[in-house]
Amino acid sequence: MKRGLLVLAVLAVAVLSVPRANAHHSFGATYLEDKTITLDGALVQMLFRNPHSYVQIDVKDASGQLVRWNIEWGGVVQLSQKGVTRDTLKPGDQVVVVGNPSRTAEDHRMRLVKITRPSDGWTWGQSYD
Amino acid sequence: MNKVKSVSILGVIVLALAAVPSSFGQVDITGIWANRGHMDWLDHGRGPDLVDYSGIPLNDAARVKSLSYTAALQAEQERQCEYYTPAYVVFGPFGLNIWTEVDPTTGRIIDYKMGAWIDKDITTIYMDGRPHPSKDAYHPYSGFTTGVWQGDTLTAISTHVKAAYNRRNGVPSSDQVTVVEHIVRHGDILAIMGIINDPVYLTEPFVMASIWEQDPHANVLRTSQPCEPIMEDERLEDGTVPHFLPGKNPYINEVTDRYHVPLEAVMGGADTMYPEFRKKIKDTYMPAAKCDRYCCGPVTDPALKCIRDATGRER
Repeated sequence: MKRGLLVLAVLAVAVLSVPRANAHHSFGATYLEDKTITLDGALVQMLFRNPHSYVQIDVKDASGQLVRWNIEWGGVVQLSQKGVTRDTLKPGDQVVVVGNPSRTAEDHRMRLVKITRPSDGWTWGQSYD
Repeated sequence: MNKVKSVSILGVIVLALAAVPSSFGQVDITGIWANRGHMDWLDHGRGPDLVDYSGIPLNDAARVKSLSYTAALQAEQERQCEYYTPAYVVFGPFGLNIWTEVDPTTGRIIDYKMGAWIDKDITTIYMDGRPHPSKDAYHPYSGFTTGVWQGDTLTAISTHVKAAYNRRNGVPSSDQVTVVEHIVRHGDILAIMGIINDPVYLTEPFVMASIWEQDPHANVLRTSQPCEPIMEDERLEDGTVPHFLPGKNPYINEVTDRYHVPLEAVMGGADTMYPEFRKKIKDTYMPAAKCDRYCCGPVTDPALKCIRDATGRER
């Protein structure tokens, strides 16, 4: 049991120590990586694609108006290796997304750091490798 | 007698070895190589800061073009699927998958192939002595690359590339670029030093290097994956070309404010490549009192401790 835990710990350290493999454009040049925001909304569509996937969600702003957010995710292979498929998320799913906001606020864009679907507890987060 | 017999046996062994056809070059560089992010980790990981051209010998034209860049440019439908050039191997992220194409008759290596990423095509390094094509020939993103062994170093020269970038924050590269890569294997470590010559945007050769560790579990693909253009940014639907006008880049002081690096360092140029530049800015550079971002490089495991200097500052 102890040995199993040790192996798990070593694996966890190994996974966490691997640098995130981001590409296409510099995420630091696109998003405010030292800030995170949380959005709660309904999924409009998931674009499972290269170079990066996107999820689009409608979120109510302070005045109650629906605002569409484009949220950048990993590429097809990166997500596939983590068990995400094009059918993982469906239009209408209520999701909570944590991410880094765009440098330009009016873009309503975000880089996905963590996504959760409260209805069944499904979640994805952190690693793009 | 025994001496004569030993020499004969040695001779037979040498002849036998000489008769075995070589299936690879001087050193086997094929296999799967994982990026550990152990050097220049911003470049080889999440990407560089937006306005940071330090260490790049860019000229005034390149600086103006870099300052006009916004990452939204790569969200344009016609640009989302553009590739970087072969030089991306030394300033981009990801692992490497290298394999050979072998002549089935002679067993000789026709070419090495360096695998594609989501934003880079396969680089084919021809080893059969073929010449580079005419300067007017087609310029694909992958360019045209030939290689030659110099001892245990494979030297590859790429030409005929498309105009793209020399850093993932908008520093441009022209279609006149020549990239020389020196590929060296040290045990399980692969090192590539890239020397980028660009008569349009650089005043001197730009040298970068990267290292990988052999890892058969790394699952680094060989082929390029299909890219599908979509409307990533609705503001661009009307054909807007994202840019900053001269003098209007709002992020020009971001690195200077955060790290207290003088603006002349951030703006790059050949001076900033050399150690002597430190002496030049010693009176204008005051280290920030506290590190507030990326203090421990790529290490995200809280169990691993940062290296601290004598004052306790994370380094």
